[in-house]
Amino acid sequence: MTEYSRMAKGRFVSTGGIKVINLPFQPDSVEFWNFSAAGTPAQNGVPYAYWDSLMGQGTASAQYFNATPVLSTGNVTSGGISTFSAGQLLQFGPTLVVSDITKASPASVTTTTAHNLVSGDVVILEGLFETSTTGMPQIAGIPFTVTVTSTTAFTIPWNTNQSNYTVISGAATGTPRVKKVLYPAIYFPGTTVISNITLGATTTVDTASAHNFRVGQEVAFRIPQQYSTVELNSLPNNLTPGAPAYGYVIAVTDYNTVVVNIDSSSYTAFTNNVSVDNSVGLSFPQIVAVGDVNTGGTQISANSVLYPPPQSNPIGTVDVNTINGPAIRGAFVNNTSQGFIIGNGSLTGLASTVLVGANTNVIYWRAYLCDQSIPS
Amino acid sequence: MEQVILQDQEGVLAWVSERLAVAMRQAEDLILRDYIISAASQINAGGGSNGFNPTNWGLTDFSGVATTLDTNNAYKFETGILGMDRFGTGPIRASYFCLSSTELQSDFDALVGQGVINNWNYPSNASAIPNEWGSVYNLRILTSSEAPVARNAAINNLGQTNDIYYNTVLGRQAITHISQDGGSMNLIYRDPYYSGMLAQNATLAVKFWQSQALTQDTAIRNVLTTRNTSLGV
Repeated sequence: MTEYSRMAKGRFVSTGGIKVINLPFQPDSVEFWNFSAAGTPAQNGVPYAYWDSLMGQGTASAQYFNATPVLSTGNVTSGGISTFSAGQLLQFGPTLVVSDITKASPASVTTTTAHNLVSGDVVILEGLFETSTTGMPQIAGIPFTVTVTSTTAFTIPWNTNQSNYTVISGAATGTPRVKKVLYPAIYFPGTTVISNITLGATTTVDTASAHNFRVGQEVAFRIPQQYSTVELNSLPNNLTPGAPAYGYVIAVTDYNTVVVNIDSSSYTAFTNNVSVDNSVGLSFPQIVAVGDVNTGGTQISANSVLYPPPQSNPIGTVDVNTINGPAIRGAFVNNTSQGFIIGNGSLTGLASTVLVGANTNVIYWRAYLCDQSIPS
Repeated sequence: MEQVILQDQEGVLAWVSERLAVAMRQAEDLILRDYIISAASQINAGGGSNGFNPTNWGLTDFSGVATTLDTNNAYKFETGILGMDRFGTGPIRASYFCLSSTELQSDFDALVGQGVINNWNYPSNASAIPNEWGSVYNLRILTSSEAPVARNAAINNLGQTNDIYYNTVLGRQAITHISQDGGSMNLIYRDPYYSGMLAQNATLAVKFWQSQALTQDTAIRNVLTTRNTSLGV
């Protein structure tokens, strides 16, 4: 009975961090051999592990070398092997209680239990009332990319060190909590919340989570009145009513900073020091990826408004400009995926073991989706 | 003479085929739905009274998003319906579509009489499509149980939770759905052959290769709302 079973195998070199394996199915059992750890037995090496969906997500049963080193066994209860299906948005991880959020830039968030996040994960904070009229509800609901600072703490790229923000502490009345956005980049680039704007001959935009823009991406702004820099909005356009005003990304500084070719020197300074009173019904400032653009058939060249365009490469290293707008360079990407994850958790009672192995370890894996599982 | 059946209108297979076609269209819808959540800009409703951010739908939210799309020169989907001399009816404006959740229908019901019109109170509901709940200002509201919702994602200052709904309001030129290289849909069928006691090894599947795109970002908005009424069970 193997009509519907699916099997896959593969190899990767561990970095010591969690490893995501994309497959055309979600396996119900996974096993792997750490070729490096098996070849050189050493204390805390994990040469083999097995996971079955009946064990539960994030678990594994593994072999390890003890101090002798002799092979022994143990189980992983968190940070083990799990499957994923990034086919739909609005999927979230477990909700964790937040004990503290500092007034700082970047703000530091502390959870009451281990958050199990890694830097680059995206989270949403909720219920950020210290009292019924104070706290940080202005940032509740915004997707933030985190930088992990400890097992129970991380920072978010937002300046909370402002007059309208009040420290969140263990005494908060609003049930502050955090949850991970499991698949923040299924479709990108898209809409991203702005955390800061630096005005000038060009406009530098910082975002709360990864923008995924490329140089040449056409972008639009949606700045609510409370954030002041409404002149950037694509509409209403004060100069030509009804004509959307767009900008183009001319430099990507990092995952959450881009430079846009809009001269904003005379615009109103951006602020996100919004009062708690205005947090009900508050919309967030956004930078939005825009689709293709009609150039009217005029070829785009250096220094033109729409420069740089997407380019073809007919021969050698010669690039030829197209008549299409640069937006096509940052065309939307469909990133739906599924498969399994090998975590970097430890065997119970053996904190120095790492399931996914050490950096440079060579790992061979097999994954199965079986016809029958008894009990299923 | 022995009779041989050459064709069998097999009921189970016909039913499975129908379900498969529905499932494929639902998959398309979910892809486009999630794509819109990612790519279209968002407005948090503020016109409601429930104290969450976003609030429940308020009349000013309907009016505001219609005004935004009008200012952005979006094309409306439907022309208006002239008023008629019929009790309980009222004229309907030319409208954009608002794609919403069936779970919000109680909230819409609570606004009837304040400018919100159920489709049964259209002068003629001949143009109302089956899942059209009704109309308000320049919006005609279509509801679906598959509409996107983030459960318990909003918390108010009392620590109470609410669900956040993504209501997509769009004009005609906002989005497109492209069948790439003619790949609208392929039905794959491999008939059973013997390999086990029950020969349960037929394959029936569909595949499609399509893409979605926002063709005009100014003609679409996701209006995020919470709910003001309790959910039924």
